[in-house]
Formats: sequence, structure tokens, C-alpha cells
Amino acid sequence: MSQSLNQIRAKRAGLQRPPRPTTARGPRAGLAVSLLLHAALIGATYFTWSRMLDASPESHSVPVDLITITEKTNVAAMAPPPPPTPPKIEAPQPTVEAPPLPQFQQVEPAPEPPLPKFKIKPEKVEEPKKPAQPTQKQTSQDFAALLNKLAATPKTPPNAKVGPRVVQGIGDANAMTADLADALKSQIYHCWSPPVGAPNAADLVVDFDLALNPDGTAGRVTSDAMSSGNPYTRAAAEAARRAIFQCQPYKLPQDRYSQWREINPLRFDPRQMMNQ
Amino acid sequence: MRKFLLVCALFLAALAPLPAAAALQVDVTQGNAQPLPIAIPDMISADPSQAQLGANIAGVIRADLDRSGLFKSIDPRAFVEHINNINVAPTFASWRAINAQGLVAGQVTLQPDGRLKVEFRLWDVFGESQMLGQQFFTQPENWRRVAHLVSDAIYERITGEKGYFDTRIVFISESGPALKRIKRLAVMDEDGANPIFLTRGDYLVLTPRFNPTAQMIAYMSYIATKPHVYLFDLETGRQEELGNFPNMTFSPRFSPDGNRVALTLENGGNSDIYVMDLRSRAVQRLTTDPAIDSAPSFSPDGRQITFESDRGGTKQIYVMNADGSGQRRISFGAGENGTPVWSPRGDLIAFTKQQGSHFTIGVMRTDGSGERMITNAYHDEGPTWAPNGRVLMFTREASNNRGSQIYSVDVTGRNELRVMTPGDASDPAWSPLIQ
Repeated sequence: MSQSLNQIRAKRAGLQRPPRPTTARGPRAGLAVSLLLHAALIGATYFTWSRMLDASPESHSVPVDLITITEKTNVAAMAPPPPPTPPKIEAPQPTVEAPPLPQFQQVEPAPEPPLPKFKIKPEKVEEPKKPAQPTQKQTSQDFAALLNKLAATPKTPPNAKVGPRVVQGIGDANAMTADLADALKSQIYHCWSPPVGAPNAADLVVDFDLALNPDGTAGRVTSDAMSSGNPYTRAAAEAARRAIFQCQPYKLPQDRYSQWREINPLRFDPRQMMNQ
Repeated sequence: MRKFLLVCALFLAALAPLPAAAALQVDVTQGNAQPLPIAIPDMISADPSQAQLGANIAGVIRADLDRSGLFKSIDPRAFVEHINNINVAPTFASWRAINAQGLVAGQVTLQPDGRLKVEFRLWDVFGESQMLGQQFFTQPENWRRVAHLVSDAIYERITGEKGYFDTRIVFISESGPALKRIKRLAVMDEDGANPIFLTRGDYLVLTPRFNPTAQMIAYMSYIATKPHVYLFDLETGRQEELGNFPNMTFSPRFSPDGNRVALTLENGGNSDIYVMDLRSRAVQRLTTDPAIDSAPSFSPDGRQITFESDRGGTKQIYVMNADGSGQRRISFGAGENGTPVWSPRGDLIAFTKQQGSHFTIGVMRTDGSGERMITNAYHDEGPTWAPNGRVLMFTREASNNRGSQIYSVDVTGRNELRVMTPGDASDPAWSPLIQ
């Protein structure tokens, strides 16, 4: 009994006083944890501050602050300057003579001065290989007829691979360059002030073939519309060309120059602006 | 054969390489419609005595283009380069530096025969090319007209549409107290310069309208107690009553060829539209409705006439053929609509809309669709078109009988400006481009 009681006491004592950890290892582990935590804290602080101090990387976001036409073009509306003292006109003029009508002679325009050589060395750009295009537009009916025909001729052409042929790259390319198109648009739109007074808005849609130099300046800038017989179209083309030159150089990612050195067509279409 | 072609096509398609770096396609659909910055230095002259004239001409051109709202002339004090010779291409970089997109370099020279030679070149600063080069000869006292002609040439070259600066305005000049108003027929240049009274104010005059050569004015006057339509010849100063109608005639308007005048004849409370041939003086009645038909205005091809009528119960806008056939209502918007005027470009009809005591100017297509209001004030009425169909003038009456003024506004509703007149003015009519 006493033995068992002693055993119980011993057990209790054991419970009450668990074996103390050895003092030799304790401080080392604590120091390591402490160092680790401090390092983490300093690291986190450094990381946060460095992020805050760094300028945000250049991005080519599409602008969202599109300016409405009214705000920018209502020039001097409703704010006429104070009227100058109106010219005093002598009271009753019983007989009034019409002002003499000037005689004009339209003489041939002055001779063209020697134009400065506008030296632009267009980048020699490889002719982009155009994707194979169907020579004729087929209606859905024609296409269905073609499918029927294919079904009716099970013979596979010699040396042709059987099975689905997935053309890769075309869709991917569009997706990859969509951001470039947006970047260019966002840089050019605020320079573009199209002549929006034409009765027929479609006359103002102009296409350009633009080659950009690696530094983002415009190299070749051509458009058939520049020599259009329609004065509205020509004016629209000239306004677009002014925009191209005025907003250059364009900031586009250097490593993707091959994707943006050739822009064709660069289309300027003001119909949305004119609500037509 | 078809099978063979198909096989060939599939074979070629299989061989065709994948497109390499295809050209980027970009579709710019939003712009930033802003006035075009243009530099117009004072015109140079070899003779110092002509320097002031060169400065005056450039000043008028700057004012013309600024007033259009489509250009913004750059303050000459900002210029970096001084033009010394207009026959040498300018240093484009120094004009780009002040953000000029266009540059007008001009020169005035007094000829041995006493005439003035005015020449200019319009440069595309960013495109580094000449856009236009012209010269004019005139008497020195006509320098303002030459300036307007240069403005028109620049406007047309850059916007693609005809200018309207070399035009005149005929209007009613008003003076005196509200109850005893003196109304006189007057003309002035489009920019308000050179105003001239044509009548003495002994009798009331209303609704003046130019003929297509801007040499004759039709208007309504109460000369012999009964209002009648008169013609005023600007060259001779002669006036004559148009036709010998027993009753009141009013709201005259010339046909685009100038050979006919459409007007309204009142007869026993019924007003109808008539057309008079100016050479034969033959008169043709176009409307017969017992309601009030008035305010006729020809389409630019002369084949149709728009007018106002209350035959449907309220005053609305109608269109008919020039012989009176095919009459149809085109305005179905809110309120009452009147004083229709066909655009010289043919695409729109401007009108006055009345809603309660509120009068505003609007435009609609010639079939009545696309109605939009372009002014918003207490009382705007009586629109008249610039010859290019791009700008309108109208009368704005201030509330409380505080007189009326002439205003101009772009057909888009932007760039509303007061037209400076000597004293109060109303009822403007824009002339065609002066020949």
C-alpha cells in the first residue's frame, strides 16, 4: 500500500514537475526564431517600401477618360467679347450707294517653291506574308454544298494527312497584338481632330499604311485618300496624317518591334464621333 | 473538274506557310475634336508703307478663322521664326515648336498700276508640304474682301467644305423705345464690318432675303399702310413693289436660280403660298388649304418647297413639290414648328420650335427625321443658313423686351457667338458667296 502510495506520489510529483528542458539548447533555438522573425519583418518592410518607392512600370493602358466633343470644342461659346463701340452711322441716308464691287483676277497660283527634301528612310521591312485568302466569297449555301461534296467523296487526296488540321497562331497573333493596337490608339486619338462637317460620314473614313521606325517615329505614311478627288476625304486624310506626325514618337515595347513596325490598315473612322 | 480544283486547293492550303508577322491592324474611332492651331503672321511687304495693310489683312483672317470655331490662331507673340520671304519653305521645326499645324505666309505688294497684290501660301507644318498657294489683285480699299477670300480658301482647303467669310448679312436694325420701334433695313459683312442702312426707318420692314447673286433683297414693308413684298436693288438703290396684289403679301424667298420668288398672300383670313416669275410676273398659286400656309423656302435644287401650315391644328412643317403637288407634313415633334429653311447643302431643314413661351432653333432631315435642337435660350427664332450649310444665324430676343441680337451657331450646336451689329438687330438673312 505504502509502495503504491509512493508510486502514486511519485507519479503526481512527475506530473507536477515535468522534466525541465535542458538549458543548453533553449537560448539557441529562441535566438534562431527571433532572428528569423526579425529577418522576416525587415524583409517584409523592405519589400513593401521598395514597391512603394519604385515607379510603376510603363503600361500601355487604354485611356478611359474619353473626352466628349462638346467639352473641348465649344470654343468661346456664349462668351462674346464686349462689343466695340458700334460704328456710328450717319442718320437718314435717303439714297444709299451700294459699295463698289471689287474686280478680282484669279491669277495662276504662285510658283511652287523648292520643297525641302523630306528625308525619311523607311525601314526596310519584309513584306508580311499574307495569309491565304479565299479567292471568292462563298455563301453559306455554297459552303454546305462543298461539305456535301466532301462527304460524298471519301477518297483522301494522295499524300494528305488525314485528320483534323488545326491552324495555330492566327487567333493567338490577334490576341497578342490587341494590346499593341490599343496602346497605339491611346497615343494617337488625342491628336486626331477629324473634320466632322461632311454630309456623308463615310467619306471621312480613311486607311493609312504606316511603317514605324524602331524609335517609334513614323517612317512611311501613305494613304490613297491623300489624293482623293473628294475634298472631304482628302481633308480627312490630311487631318489623320497630321495626327500621326503630331503624336509621334509612339511608345511601344521594343522587344516586340516586329509586331508593330508595320501597321496596315491604320484606319481612322469618325462615324461614332458623328453618331452616324 | 471541280473535284480536281478542290484537290489542288486543299493541297496548296496544306503547303501554305503560316502567316509570319502580319501587319498590325488598328482602328481609331475616337478622336479629340479641337480647333486646328494655325499660325498666321502679319503679311510681309517690301514697302514699309504697306506693312500696316499686311498686318490688317492677317488680323481679319485670324478673326475669321477663329470665329468659325474650327481654327485657333496662335498669338503672333509666340512665333519663333520671322517670315522674310514667302517663296522659301519655312523652318517647319520652329513652327512645330509652338504647336502650329498650319502656317499662312502672305505678302502684300502695291503694283505700279495702283492695284494691290495679295499672295499667300498655306503650309502643312507636320506634313512639311505646301497645301495651297494663291494670289489676288484688287483695289487697296477692298483689302477686307481679299482677307475674307483668303480665309475662305484656307477654310475650304483644310475642312473640305466651302467657306462663308466673303458673304454679307441683311438684317433689320432696331432702335428707339419698345412701343415706337424704328426698324431699318441694313446690310453688313459677315463679320459685322461695313454696316450700311438701306432704308430710313419711316416705315416698318421685316423678313429681308437675298437673291442668289446677293445683289437684290426681297422684304416686306408697310410702306402704304398695307404690308407688301418689295424688292431692293443693291446696285441702284431702287425699290419696287413686287406684283400688284390687292391684299397683304409677306415672307418672300427667292428660288435658287433667282428667277422666282415664293411668297405668302393673305386673303380674307386665309393665307396661301404663291410663286411669282420675276421675268413674266406670272403668278401661280401653290396651296389652297383654308388654313394658314406661310414661310416658303426652296430646296437647293429648286424642285421642292418647305413651308409652315396650321392645317393639322397646330403650326407644323410641310414639304411640297415646287408646283404645289405632293404636300406632306414632316414635323411631328413636340410643340409647334415653323419658319423652315432648307439648307443650301440640301441635307437639313432648320426651323423654330415653340413650346409654351420658349422658342428654340432646331434642325431635322428633309423627311422630318433626326430632329435635334441646337440652341437653348428664352427666345431664339428665324434661322438662316451660311452658304455652306454648316453655320446658322438667328435672332435672340432677351426677356423683358430688352431688345434682340443676332447670334450664330454651328449646325452641331457648338460655337454659339453673338454677331456684332450697330444697336439691336433681328431677322438676319445670310447671302450666298459673293460672286
